[in-house]
Amino acid sequence: MGAQVSLEGVSKFYDNEKALQDIHLTFTEDVTTAVVGPSGSGKSTLLQLINGLIRPSRGEISVFGSLIDYDRLPQLRLRIGYAVQGTGLFPHLTVWENITLLARLVRWDPARIKGRGQELMRLVGLSSSLEGRYPHELSGGQQQRVGLCRAMMLNPRIFLLDEPFGALDPMTRSEIHQEFLHLQKSEARTIILVTHDLREALKLAQEVVILNRGNLVQRGTCAEIVQSPAGEFVETFLNSQLED
Amino acid sequence: MKQLAIVVAASFLLLFLPPGSVSAPRQTIVVGSKHFNEGYILSEIMAQLLEDRGFQVDRKFGLGGTLICFDALRNGGIDLYPEYSGTLEQAVLKLPRRASYRELRRRLKEQFGLDLLDSFGFSNSYAVAVSRTLAEKIGLKTISDLARFPNLRFAFSLEFLNRQDGWPGLARTYGLSVRPLGIEHGLAYQAIRENKLDLTDVYSTDGDIRKFDLVLLKDDRRYFPDYLAAPLVRADVDEGAKQSLGELAGTISATEMQELNGMAVLEGKSFAEIAREVLSKKGLLHGGRSFRERSRWATLLSRTGTHLKLTLIALLAAMALAIPFGVLIYRLRVISRPVIYGAGLLQTIPSIALLAFMIPLLGIGSVPAIVALFLYALLPILRNTAAALFSIDPVLKKVAVGMGLTAWQRLRHVELPLGVPTILAGIKTAAVINIGTATLAAFIGAGGLGEPIVTGLALNDTSLILEGAIPAALLAVLTEFAFEVLERLVIPKHLRQKPAE
Repeated sequence: MGAQVSLEGVSKFYDNEKALQDIHLTFTEDVTTAVVGPSGSGKSTLLQLINGLIRPSRGEISVFGSLIDYDRLPQLRLRIGYAVQGTGLFPHLTVWENITLLARLVRWDPARIKGRGQELMRLVGLSSSLEGRYPHELSGGQQQRVGLCRAMMLNPRIFLLDEPFGALDPMTRSEIHQEFLHLQKSEARTIILVTHDLREALKLAQEVVILNRGNLVQRGTCAEIVQSPAGEFVETFLNSQLED
Repeated sequence: MKQLAIVVAASFLLLFLPPGSVSAPRQTIVVGSKHFNEGYILSEIMAQLLEDRGFQVDRKFGLGGTLICFDALRNGGIDLYPEYSGTLEQAVLKLPRRASYRELRRRLKEQFGLDLLDSFGFSNSYAVAVSRTLAEKIGLKTISDLARFPNLRFAFSLEFLNRQDGWPGLARTYGLSVRPLGIEHGLAYQAIRENKLDLTDVYSTDGDIRKFDLVLLKDDRRYFPDYLAAPLVRADVDEGAKQSLGELAGTISATEMQELNGMAVLEGKSFAEIAREVLSKKGLLHGGRSFRERSRWATLLSRTGTHLKLTLIALLAAMALAIPFGVLIYRLRVISRPVIYGAGLLQTIPSIALLAFMIPLLGIGSVPAIVALFLYALLPILRNTAAALFSIDPVLKKVAVGMGLTAWQRLRHVELPLGVPTILAGIKTAAVINIGTATLAAFIGAGGLGEPIVTGLALNDTSLILEGAIPAALLAVLTEFAFEVLERLVIPKHLRQKPAE
């Protein structure tokens, strides 16, 4: 298993405020890694460094084995799925138009677009009767599923998720978690999932990265994190999140 | 800076227009007129005479005041219009002393290359008027006689009262020591009729002189300069046309002109009718071409067509410039303030002033009108385009970037489509403003629905004003409606702006 994303000594400052401090990290191919931490820990910044929405103040980032070429970002981003909290569906496009937008822009042939779109909708459990609806006519869970389909359309090898399930009610969230796992089983890819919810991380990811105030605190499999938390911060964080 | 903007805008516009629309082709004679009753009548008489002699005539009537007409004549926007010798002497040539008609003719030829033809035969100068009854009762005939009646009640229009060549000079010349009141000109006639006033200033060919049965006192010391009315013609106009106009020399007396003015003001006859009557009475119509007045509906239709053409060309050109500029502002925030302020500045220029600015640059007719309308349409479209783009949900912008859309793809597939409701609202505002403003374009000879409005204002004829104002208002409402239909067609329901917003 190779590394598809790696950060070498990456720091990010905003007006002397440090958001990330000297991060060394690799994300393993076809594995789901959750990046967790309290708000302000830098987890969202980390994610946006990978698709070039943010440039590092220091350090280097490689994706698909080569350094990010900041002059050719759109080409890179087409190979990286991206989904955010609140879905970010385009309100002027129908469900089908949202899902297939990228494929149409890169000029896939219509039969391929149709096949891929329908396959994705089936995988996440969206009825084809929703194709012509506009986003505002859908429930929160349905919107979230459309967002996943849109990000998966070009079958990207890397998938970045920024708190995508944050705004959902517990029932819907649990359903989507199931579909997410189902999707990952049928089309395995490198997933980096940013969340503040440790339970979600443990449920969906194989590996966990814990950040606090811009520093990498611990990195390990789910079992390692739970069984041997590194230091006081992780312990407190675990306890606050996992106690009932 | 403003001039530069106008020139840039103008040259931009010229690209869209067929050549030849700036100056009329050689064989067509463009007849202009000032924006007042007598000007319309004299111009229509000349126009019909020329048509009768087989010339193609283009009428550009109601062109504001002396300077607009004179500029238009100099730069070839019109070929001729009726002017007054006193006005030429004082307002145009700015001579310090009285000049003979021959001297005026020579100077106009030398300085401007214009031919001042022989006068129609009357002078429309300032005069002092009293009611006929009073004049006959006390034997008042000349202005000198006034010195004998110090108890008469004098009231003059404010302009006359304050002009050096008005009351102050008159009082000095005739040794009058009364202290006149100032009065609104229109009210003076009424006041004389009701015997509240004895004496006021008038124009000697005013139609109201007959209506209120006034007599003019003889200017026995020749204080008032002559305002002899005559055709003022560009030198390059066909000699045959000049000869035809020469036939009008000395044919209209001051009393007759009073009558003609009265026909328009008091009887509400059209200028075309009046001109035809005069010409046929004088046996000047040879029937080279029979005169026919177009039907009301045909006129209305052609005016509406012109109006729409002016508005539409200006609107399309404004869209072609303002929408890309709106996008540019969105991308380059540094320039956003200067550009928006610049467009805002254009908006603050009063429309009539903007139209007047156009004349030295572009002459008269539809080109300067379109340029002015174009400049007015810029701001609403520009501002709404920029506002539409700036107000897009930042999450959507971030997602569009993060998904891998290029700048152009984001604009084309996300930002502009989301901005359409606001941009369309801006275009709608511009269109409605333009339909209103285009009515003023008639002042610089662009025609359209403003034509009857401008004429109606000159005649104080409400029904004529309404003949332009009602269709213009309907057109504005229709435009509003058309845009609503367009919105329904192109914007999904949930993205439409509520009417109240």
